[in-house]
Amino acid sequence: MIELINVTKKFGEKVAVNNLNLTIEKGKLTMLIGPSGCGKTTTMRMINRLTRCDEGDIKLSGISVCEINPVELRRGIGYVIQEIGLFPHFTVFDNIATVPRLLKWDEKKIKKRVEELLDIVTLNSNFAYKYPLQLSGGERQRVGLARSLGADPEVLLMDEPFGAIDPINRLKLQDSFLEIQEEIKKTIVFVTHDINEAIKLGDKIVIMKDGSLVQCDDAANILANPANKFVENLLGKDRSIKALSLKKTKNFIAAGDLVTVSEEETKEKILKKMQEKKEEIAFVLDKYNKLMGRYWLEKSKNNEQVEINFDGDPIFTERNNSLKETLSIMLESGEKILPVVNRRKVLIGIVKLNDIFEEVSK
Amino acid sequence: MIFLNYFLENYNKILRASYQHFCLFIISLIIAIIIGVILSIIATEEGKEKLGKVIVSITGAAQAVPSIAVIALVFIYVGIGVIPAIISLIIYSLVPIIFNATSGILSVPQSIIEAGKGMGFTRNQILWKIKIPIAIPVIMGGIRSAATIIIGTAVVASVIGGGGLGDLIFIGLRLNKPEALFAGAFSSALMAIIIDIILARAEKIITPKGLKIKK
Repeated sequence: MIELINVTKKFGEKVAVNNLNLTIEKGKLTMLIGPSGCGKTTTMRMINRLTRCDEGDIKLSGISVCEINPVELRRGIGYVIQEIGLFPHFTVFDNIATVPRLLKWDEKKIKKRVEELLDIVTLNSNFAYKYPLQLSGGERQRVGLARSLGADPEVLLMDEPFGAIDPINRLKLQDSFLEIQEEIKKTIVFVTHDINEAIKLGDKIVIMKDGSLVQCDDAANILANPANKFVENLLGKDRSIKALSLKKTKNFIAAGDLVTVSEEETKEKILKKMQEKKEEIAFVLDKYNKLMGRYWLEKSKNNEQVEINFDGDPIFTERNNSLKETLSIMLESGEKILPVVNRRKVLIGIVKLNDIFEEVSK
Repeated sequence: MIFLNYFLENYNKILRASYQHFCLFIISLIIAIIIGVILSIIATEEGKEKLGKVIVSITGAAQAVPSIAVIALVFIYVGIGVIPAIISLIIYSLVPIIFNATSGILSVPQSIIEAGKGMGFTRNQILWKIKIPIAIPVIMGGIRSAATIIIGTAVVASVIGGGGLGDLIFIGLRLNKPEALFAGAFSSALMAIIIDIILARAEKIITPKGLKIKK
């Protein structure tokens, strides 16, 4: 838990943060949002003392950060910035091992930890010996996240970590980031200026303006009851559609079982299986349950016979996609049923268009 | 033919002069590197970035000062002999070393330093594990030009008693013996080339692998 108590910071005459009181809950993802110059980054940087606070106090699990040696403090807090700042002269392995080495872990333990982290951020283990210059933007961002988790810190500070990534990859990174947070349950302070990102990721959203707190609540409450005009403007006119974006696809997975088949099975066998279960769609999975393809039944136009079709690159949605995103995938592709997968493309279930409509009309 | 004969007859003399020349060179270069890199590190410490930038502009302009002017000034204030020669070589070669080291360290992206600080690097660790390794190719570039400059300027420094290959050249001038002049010029040029090749190799070896990768 992080407590900010009457915190004030001035840069010369300008008040960057004004008498801020804020409690950041343990294990939750707290988004700091506001227009540029509202003091959100300054607030974050005061937590690991990259910026000193002038007045007030900041407590980490009850201990004032001013009483901890800043170097020790920072080694215990994960830190990710927009430019990532990977060390170009270090391999991916050495980058991720940075803080464990500062803390003088033994090399065996470090190796195990790095492998674990590469797996968490879904990077293949042969990335370990690549250099940052050889990575794409999204891969660098993943390495940056893995590096910040190096020594398994309790608290993570993230300053617009996805800000420099193109919109499509940003969505993907957000999805896998959410899934990772479900597993690691860190206390995260996340600075952003993108309201959609705040709504999508945040357990709690802290809205700031001119160095002061405007509203602090969970996304649903803020969307339902914006504190004032400023918050309303920040949320935008499409508040009701944004509310749909709060609902996660994984909570709308349809009941009942699916027909799943392996890659080796013959068409006749699959057809029989589908007719037995009275399903029109069957999913092809590999031995890791990864989605590899899709069979579907269709009545032939010429005669009344049923035909079986195969698609080796089926359209899918990710479990942490919001209903809004899943809905737009359905509308774009014309599918009424979509397979739901996790970040490793393992099939989890299906989601149906009708269920989403029901949710909208509620 | 006359050149070759001169070479063969004065083999020992040329070798002795070359050895002297090399000693002048190596002593001046080592001292210049130590002083230059330390000054650059001090000038680029956090919060002193402005001073660093001023130093970059001053040393940039100072590269236009002719070597003979520096040698003359040292002669006036310090006198004659090997020590004044070395002093003038150090002063003159400090310019490229400081220029490159300062601009190299200043050009390390702020985001990388910020990330290092945020992860709990101490000030020394930021200097030795981040700034210097990333700036190494630029710093080495400065050292390489300093080396070439010292070998060339040491020839001129023999007018204030530095000794070395410059003596051969000035004797050749005074006695109208082009073969002596040629022997001195040729040997110092050869030395400059060999030293530069060695330093280029050294640069390759100490540049971190991750900085050499092309996409």
